[in-house]
Amino acid sequence: MKVDVQEPRPRIYVVAPHGDVDMGSSPEVRKALAPLFRKGTVHVIVDLSHVPYMDSSGIATLIEGFQLSQKGAIRFTLAGMNPSVEAAFDLAHLKDVFEVVPVVEVALGEGGGA
Amino acid sequence: MSRIQGPVLLDIPSDPAALFLVRCVVERLAQRMAFGAEDVTQVTLAVDEACANTIRHAYKNRPGERIVLRFLIQEDRLEIHVRDFGESVDPRKIRPRELGEIRPGGLGTHFIRSAMDEVSYEAQEGGGTLLRLVKYRKNSGGGG
Repeated sequence: MKVDVQEPRPRIYVVAPHGDVDMGSSPEVRKALAPLFRKGTVHVIVDLSHVPYMDSSGIATLIEGFQLSQKGAIRFTLAGMNPSVEAAFDLAHLKDVFEVVPVVEVALGEGGGA
Repeated sequence: MSRIQGPVLLDIPSDPAALFLVRCVVERLAQRMAFGAEDVTQVTLAVDEACANTIRHAYKNRPGERIVLRFLIQEDRLEIHVRDFGESVDPRKIRPRELGEIRPGGLGTHFIRSAMDEVSYEAQEGGGTLLRLVKYRKNSGGGG
């Protein structure tokens, strides 16, 4: 699986997995995500717009990210969730736990709306 | 649209890389049976999670073992049997976790129970487990 990591602004990271995040690929997302929750990081955004499907292991990876963000007082945002991924979050009763925005630009404060 | 007669079998290795095949089959089958979009997503997720649990717990992540899925297409429901030949799991220990706590892990069983109308585990003679999953079509009883 391809997981892009970019720093569009200093200390703000966008992590973009490409493809289904399941039992086989979630370790790669974890590997890309976990090191970003370090001292100095301000904001981590996970761009899910290229993720057509996510299972419980993918959600567990994002929960780990959420916990690391809480520990480090780092903002953590999920962007671009498609309906199938959203359905899994709904089933897990987790949508209200995360900051969720429609697109990455909104998380970066570049888009309209909230 | 004509109904598929007889069961459909899918025999996959206990390899996470094979799970996309399971998702493809379940998704297309549920769509063809005219399940609603939400049900298609949930049933696909549930069967995927069932196979992932099998790899994780029955086979302890050993690749190259067998998972046999049997799809029974009925007028009013889709029934899926997930058969493994690994370590039998005590059905009493397979319980979804409480959702109040925000922590990783244990969500798969919750997904299966939430998505499916019937879920039962049966230890098989000679080893392994048969997981039976059933999803009823909402409109089969006269609903929308």
